[in-house]
Amino acid sequence: MKGYCACGVADMAVKPDPGSKDKGPNLFLPRKADVLRAEQTTPYEKHFTLRLADQSQLEFQPGQILEVGLMGFGEIPIGLASSPTRKNTFDIVVRSVGRVSTAVNKLEAGDSLLVRGPLGNGFDLDKLRGRDILIVAGGIGLCPTRSLIQYILDRRKEFKRFILMYGTREPKMQLFLDDLAEWRKSKDIELHETVDRADPTWAGNVGVVTKLFNKVPIDPETRVVVCGPPIMFRYVISVLDSLWIPRENIYVDLERRMKCGVGKCGHCQINDKYVCVDGPVFSFAEVENLEEAP
Amino acid sequence: MQEQFLADKAFEPFLAKLIAAGPVVGPVGKRSQFVFAPLRSPAEARLDYDVTILPPKKLFFPPAQDLVRFDGDKVEGCIEPVAMVVFGVHPYDVKALDMTDLLFKERNEDRNYLAHREAATLVAMTPQKASSRAFWGSIGTGVEPKGHDALLTKVPGGWIYEARTPKGTALLKHGDFASATKEQSSAARKAGLDAGRKCSANLKHPAAAVAHRMKTVFKDEKLWNGLAEDCFSCGSCNTVCPTCYCFDVQDRWNLDQKSGTRTRYWDACLAEDFSKVTLGANASENFRETKGERFRHRFMRKASYLNEKLGGPACVGCGRCSAACTADIADPVRVIDTIMGRPS
Repeated sequence: MKGYCACGVADMAVKPDPGSKDKGPNLFLPRKADVLRAEQTTPYEKHFTLRLADQSQLEFQPGQILEVGLMGFGEIPIGLASSPTRKNTFDIVVRSVGRVSTAVNKLEAGDSLLVRGPLGNGFDLDKLRGRDILIVAGGIGLCPTRSLIQYILDRRKEFKRFILMYGTREPKMQLFLDDLAEWRKSKDIELHETVDRADPTWAGNVGVVTKLFNKVPIDPETRVVVCGPPIMFRYVISVLDSLWIPRENIYVDLERRMKCGVGKCGHCQINDKYVCVDGPVFSFAEVENLEEAP
Repeated sequence: MQEQFLADKAFEPFLAKLIAAGPVVGPVGKRSQFVFAPLRSPAEARLDYDVTILPPKKLFFPPAQDLVRFDGDKVEGCIEPVAMVVFGVHPYDVKALDMTDLLFKERNEDRNYLAHREAATLVAMTPQKASSRAFWGSIGTGVEPKGHDALLTKVPGGWIYEARTPKGTALLKHGDFASATKEQSSAARKAGLDAGRKCSANLKHPAAAVAHRMKTVFKDEKLWNGLAEDCFSCGSCNTVCPTCYCFDVQDRWNLDQKSGTRTRYWDACLAEDFSKVTLGANASENFRETKGERFRHRFMRKASYLNEKLGGPACVGCGRCSAACTADIADPVRVIDTIMGRPS
């Protein structure tokens, strides 16, 4: 507390209380992670492959988040972008939008950063197993869902039909180009892509992601995962409603200002839910009656 | 535990010994108001205070609190609790501390708060006065103040000290206490019961009815926009609230540009950018964009969302927000009256 205490208590002799030591970890103490690979995938996004500096395994579920940061800059919540089935390393994708993300995106292989987590609730895999799965991802929404995509591909037999709909504003905004190239050829995943605005390099679908539903028949028993910008949710949910997909079978991966990541600081609240600990993955049935949800 | 009596003339020596034994924080005068501050002498203590500017929460969750320090590559935690006695805390603030204890403890234990709280000995005190905006006599009446180590009550000729924990009992050795007589004990009980009547403001509606009505009027935009019309989004109501615990986290560099701290600062859900996120390319999304939405969120937090968890409303009736509000629109008694008077 030294120096920052308005009440003057900090100016008094600090007497550490032995009884309160070692009772639990400091929730805000981060772990160091080394950057093994850093690739600028779009003008704004950088894809990092990381490993904990102490070589230990990061145990997590697809859909969980990390607080990623650099001391002196701050922390930002980032969804894990690789599957826990791929051991030893983990991936994140950071879009340069503010002070912390811009600083993180200057890092290259050989540098290191700090992480806290995994935090929050990921996808309930037991509810997805044995089902047809549809993932609808918009823009950077492909990053947290890539964790689930890889998971399903790595344990393909545990799931039935697997469809991915991916929409971006422009072709140059597409992420994970190597993955996309592989998925286009793969028989394990039905990939449908679209862009809002085409350019001369683009020969595929043009239009918002909901337009893809006109081309792809979806069974009402399908479990659906939606992740993208807030505006996208509204349109996708109404299409899913028209397909008679029950709302408890729709999962949304929400974005809010998850500052502390441990359910205290209050910034990510939707009504009485804390996105960082109650989510970021919710079934749509859980959040549809929350007035502050999208 | 048998209640103890401390004669008026023995009170100052008791407090002097406590101060000599370690840090004691208590209510002291600051111009025409009161604040919790380290006591240098018993004479400084203003045990006749009505309310302090900031609640005692600041001792465990200060307006700025370092969470992590760094120096080059070295990063370390900095939980350094101060073993202090917090003296003369009114029951409404005791209730509020009990609530923040629970909220910092649930799900992920926040040691940065809890360690400070556990290191402290909390001596509560039956209020002798109430501020003009206080309504603690009529809110959360079903919630007993708990979590304090002792309770002190002024009675004719002296004070009654009721130790509630071993930490509270441990302080007895500093004073010339005698077992309280039946009359003294009953005088203390009466003072406790009478205390609530000192409040001039009263909440007329039961907590459960308020919590229910809050939910039914949630979508009444006209109501909330009307209530918040004069709001400056300054967050004064949040800043003085004993149960508000939202915070921002910022990193600060020291002048050497090598070392620094990751520090949490009190934040306010009434502030415009509280729920704002950037989307990049100069685009942003504010999940609580209007002042009506932000005002509503605060009242939902105080009167509805946390009720189940806390056993009552997350408001203790201290009246600080009413007094601090720049536009004088935050008074929970008036706001709840308006909401309850609204046809549902």
